[in-house]
Amino acid sequence: MIEPLTDVVPSFFAMLNQGPLTLTIALHTVIILPMFWIYRSEKKRLESQE
Amino acid sequence: MANKNLSVWTSIPFWRRSAAWVTGFASILLIWLTFDTLGQITMGTDDDLKNGVTKRVPAATVINYKIGYEMSTKRGHEVPTIGEKEPFFGKEWSADDAADLLHLGKLTSQTKNCMNCHTLLGNGAYYAPDLTKAWIDPAWSKTGPMMAMTGKSTKEEAIAEFLQHPSTYPTHARMMPELGITADEAKGLVAFLKHMSSIDTNGFPRNFGKEEGSTNAH
Repeated sequence: MIEPLTDVVPSFFAMLNQGPLTLTIALHTVIILPMFWIYRSEKKRLESQE
Repeated sequence: MANKNLSVWTSIPFWRRSAAWVTGFASILLIWLTFDTLGQITMGTDDDLKNGVTKRVPAATVINYKIGYEMSTKRGHEVPTIGEKEPFFGKEWSADDAADLLHLGKLTSQTKNCMNCHTLLGNGAYYAPDLTKAWIDPAWSKTGPMMAMTGKSTKEEAIAEFLQHPSTYPTHARMMPELGITADEAKGLVAFLKHMSSIDTNGFPRNFGKEEGSTNAH
């Protein structure tokens, strides 16, 4: 499932770069996931203000 | 009042926190990528070349080696290959001499503003041919038209001759002007071009003309 590194100089980003889109999807996932937590905590705060 | 219509989407603090997170993360990512890139583009050493260590940007002494351009099935595009040694202007260049020559070539390329017409490593204009892989351009190979035109026996001498007297050789409808390039500067420029061809550019420019013997992707 994990492809061997194809880049010339090994790096973390080269590892994520398994094919087209994989690097993009990985980075976007990292950005989007904490936003669920921000959403829930804001919801809790709004409810407690009621 | 639990059944009151609560919307997080219209809450300003939610958007403020989200924006702060995305901007903050993106900033850190960009700084990280900058340092990652610095590692990728750091020039190799003469020892790397001797020991066969592949670098994106090889040492200046790469001018002592034969440069090829071959299809890599693993990476899905062509990559420069560094082959056996070959004399450059009739001799093997030491690390210091090669670095000095390359430096002279780089300064000359900037002084004569090659990029005003040509493209170097993706930067510049497309008025004149892309020079990124000029050294491995078949036009300059043993059987190519450019080499025969200059009447020189080696590729480096032929390119140097052309650079000193470009308007003597009718090459293109848009002929290169005389730029007053001296013999030494021309040597430096050829070293600069040869070194540039050995840089791993992830297959850029695509479908570049290949010399005989290398694999043609299309």
